[in-house]
Amino acid sequence: MYMAGKRNWVSVAATLLVLAMPSGWAQSDTMSHSILAGSAVEFQYPEQITVPAGKTTTVALHFRVAQGLHINSHTPRDQYLIPTAFSIPDGTGVQLSDAVYPPGKDFTLPAAPADKLSVYTDEFVIQAKIVAPAGNHLVQAKLHFQACNNAMCMPPKTIPVAIDVIGK
Amino acid sequence: MKRNTIVLGAVLFILSTFAWAGWANYEYRKQAAERLLASVAKGELVVDASSGDGKYVSPLTGKPAPAFALEDLTGKKVSLADYKGKAVLVNFWATWCAPCKIETPWLVELRNQYSAQGFEVLGISADDLDKDDVKKLADEKKEIGRTADQLHIPYPVLIDGGSIDTAYGGLDELPMSFYVDRNGTVVATQMGLSSKDEMEANIKKALGN
Repeated sequence: MYMAGKRNWVSVAATLLVLAMPSGWAQSDTMSHSILAGSAVEFQYPEQITVPAGKTTTVALHFRVAQGLHINSHTPRDQYLIPTAFSIPDGTGVQLSDAVYPPGKDFTLPAAPADKLSVYTDEFVIQAKIVAPAGNHLVQAKLHFQACNNAMCMPPKTIPVAIDVIGK
Repeated sequence: MKRNTIVLGAVLFILSTFAWAGWANYEYRKQAAERLLASVAKGELVVDASSGDGKYVSPLTGKPAPAFALEDLTGKKVSLADYKGKAVLVNFWATWCAPCKIETPWLVELRNQYSAQGFEVLGISADDLDKDDVKKLADEKKEIGRTADQLHIPYPVLIDGGSIDTAYGGLDELPMSFYVDRNGTVVATQMGLSSKDEMEANIKKALGN
């Protein structure tokens, strides 16, 4: 009887120990194939801006390129490369009269050190000149780009750039 | 008295087990959150570790290469089955892909070197095509053709790779190469730019050398 009670305690403790084990220990963190973890480019800020209604206003839009990646600048050196481009679709009430892009940084792939690319890495800022009528406008602007790392490229992508534009 | 000691010991054991489990869970979740945060912030391309050497291993390796029939730049249908009995390198590329253009001269050299042994390259463009817009489609085909000419590609260049991307595991990154042996089995895969030597080794594997 005493031994049976002891065995029960041992069983209970062992069961509790197994149940209490972190579930992650039973899983592996293997990845099935190469992937991009996260977005290649993220819009950082501003999320909301107040501008004089009907007047052209320059807004600095801040973007970040994920570490280890680069995207073509707005003026890539080769015509086959896809330039980074910001746009505001029609019908949002807010017009994009112009966009001033930063110059690209010189970049070379290790396998082709003689071929210079013009790219954006880390953070870059686009100066968008917009005209907004009076009122509150939730603008779903777009940034089109094509990202690569040193060895491979991802297909061109367009990400939403959501900005709450208040015209006063 | 002895029974009480055992009960007390058991209770203490259970409590300490729970305390340990709570701490371990907290640590695990903290590490998982840090990993998630790091992956979102970095957004790096990462490769599979399952191959042991950090290289990409497609699930297609060791399996029959998915069949396809795509148009070449002249509009002629070319299928993988046309190359039965040959070793074939199915190479996905795009006009906007700089690393693809670095490896293309290597492909051309290796193709010329091994073609007499029964080796061929099929360069499949993954460029998007506006199939509903005749003019745009013609321009896009012209652009692919112009790039192929600039790169002096002697092997067949096929278009509309996007239509078979699912069968080949998705074309989220380019260049992407599948080495198919004479029996139609994928014997090696390569994602991203590697080296001419590595390509040659895979070609030899596909040829059965």
